[in-house]
Amino acid sequence: MADSTIITLISIGVTFLFMLGVPVFLVIGYWIIGVSFLIGMPLDNIGAALMHVFTNGFALLAMPLFILTGDLINRSGIARRLSDFAYACLGWIRGGLAMASLGACGLFAAISGSNSATTATIGSMLHPEMVKGGYDERFSAATAAAGGTVGIIIPPSIIFIVYGFLLNLPISDLFVAGIIPGTMMVGSMMLACFLICWRNGWGFLIALSPMRVIKTAIGAWLGFFAIGLVLWGIYTGKFSPTEAAGVTVGFCVIVGFLSLPLHRLMGGAKGRDVSEKRISEMLVVEGFSPLELPSITMRSAQITGILAPLIAVSVVMQQMLSALGAQEVIGGFVTSMGGYHAVLFTSMAIVFICGMVLESLPVTIILAPILAPIAHSVGIEPVQFAVIFLVGASIGFITPPYGLNLYVASGVTGVPYFRLLRYTVPYLVALIAVWVIVALVPGLSTVLLPQR
Amino acid sequence: MTGWFQGMGEILSALSAGDSWMLSEALRQPAVWPLGLIAMLVAAVAILVVYRVSPWAERSLESTLMVVSYLAIGGIIFVEVFRRFVLSQQVPWSTTLPPFLFLVMTWFGCSYNVKLRTHLAFAEFRTAMPRAGQMACLMLDAVLWVGFSWVVVVTSMRVVVNSASNFQIMLGTDHVMQWWFMISVPLAFTTLVARVLENALTDIGNFRSGDTLVTQAVIGGE
Repeated sequence: MADSTIITLISIGVTFLFMLGVPVFLVIGYWIIGVSFLIGMPLDNIGAALMHVFTNGFALLAMPLFILTGDLINRSGIARRLSDFAYACLGWIRGGLAMASLGACGLFAAISGSNSATTATIGSMLHPEMVKGGYDERFSAATAAAGGTVGIIIPPSIIFIVYGFLLNLPISDLFVAGIIPGTMMVGSMMLACFLICWRNGWGFLIALSPMRVIKTAIGAWLGFFAIGLVLWGIYTGKFSPTEAAGVTVGFCVIVGFLSLPLHRLMGGAKGRDVSEKRISEMLVVEGFSPLELPSITMRSAQITGILAPLIAVSVVMQQMLSALGAQEVIGGFVTSMGGYHAVLFTSMAIVFICGMVLESLPVTIILAPILAPIAHSVGIEPVQFAVIFLVGASIGFITPPYGLNLYVASGVTGVPYFRLLRYTVPYLVALIAVWVIVALVPGLSTVLLPQR
Repeated sequence: MTGWFQGMGEILSALSAGDSWMLSEALRQPAVWPLGLIAMLVAAVAILVVYRVSPWAERSLESTLMVVSYLAIGGIIFVEVFRRFVLSQQVPWSTTLPPFLFLVMTWFGCSYNVKLRTHLAFAEFRTAMPRAGQMACLMLDAVLWVGFSWVVVVTSMRVVVNSASNFQIMLGTDHVMQWWFMISVPLAFTTLVARVLENALTDIGNFRSGDTLVTQAVIGGE
């Protein structure tokens, strides 16, 4: 039998394992073992690569730290303040609470780098209120899932970190390039959300009160400060992304510790509405005690313990694919489609289809090193292609059959996975529209890049 | 069968001599595979016994390691950035040590997620299967985890011993060896196997008593 036939059989075999519910980590792992035996590659590469992925680089460290920032701003109460602010701004529109939760996802994403943390935080915070506010629970859960996709496009973003780490692109440039496309994603999802809510007449309207907006904006100042700190540090090049992550973690921990006694001193109590609070009370958040820090960290550590092994094993799979010459085969196929636009849209189609069945981190690690050089050869800017690729990968988080955000949203809201799917369709349409625009207009990704 | 156990004597004598160079030579022998499997399973069973004796270890062995390394990474980077901006000084290992702590955290985290069964998987078909099918899937998972761990324990042990025999020092330090951290990979995969065995025992118990076998994993929930 020819090698290519056996590789196909191995791939079908592990796909079968995937369908049986074997963890993705093992599915990729056994593909690697099978192909290693086939091409006579020593297995030693596996042990070495699973170590060196982590020990060889400082850049990848930004990933766990930006996951941790998400949990820290959640537990310190900053995330709540950001969502209060979004609601105060949007509550007067039909579907305001749902749009506010999308806006809150965008703000949360600007401090945290993780899609699942964004979905989990905003979903568990706003889902009960949305259900109370008369929204369909499926729609509410789908909103949290869709909103989470911007978690990895609006900087900081763990997937940009991985992409830059693999392809040797400056991670800070990638972060900056994600700002406009990420904002557009939020905007388009809000539009889709408004149309659905308007048609169904969901949600109570609250009056737009400038006082409430100002008060909640003051309440969210710590969040805005953290966003500013990350963006300023990366934009000016004062910190590397890893250092920016470390600084944000330090900032959130200090704020959390200091806020707890201050908040008690000011007599703050949980559960009161914004309108009953004085402005001075809004200045500090609830915070957390040093004793709570390990349990907060543990939540992030658990997510990292899922994602980081997946990154490592995907890197090994990518090495095997290059050893097999997948670059030439896929490259030949994609370039045979024609020029600039044909290559662009073929790549996008590949990313989209792979994103449906695979988790987005493996998609990025396995496909980016193959597709990026081809895109470059037809004249697509590397940074722009990164954005196109990753917006596509982020859409993969909400495409069935395998969409991580759908699982997370289903987990935190209790709405069964398959019932969620119907209401994700409008969001998918909105996101794909933005994706195509971002692909056709390079300026959206590159205009903000600092001229160094 | 002699081929499989060829070089066993060399490995054992290198181990008893405690010489990393001899050991790194000896680990090239084919006997390392069966010996590695036996050693891994014995160690995993020993860890399982520890878990049964001490509920604290069962609950918090991995999580303590994960939290300590996580906070150390964040702490080192934050403090050193602060010192660089304010005091214009920075210790040389502040960029080389954290990646090794990340390594420790990742693989013990991998093991911890095996305990929680939260590794990403497509569980929709499995949930719809009859009980016997579900049980077969769970046992398949267990066998696959043990097999993959076997490969990783043996191959990563070779890397660790090789690093020790070459005296690889953590950059920026004078006498901290890299293998002190790298050995966490084979160790973490051994604790992972202990978790797999623990889960398998639970599953068998559930299967006999008629309890639910497959529950949906909640990622990022409370």
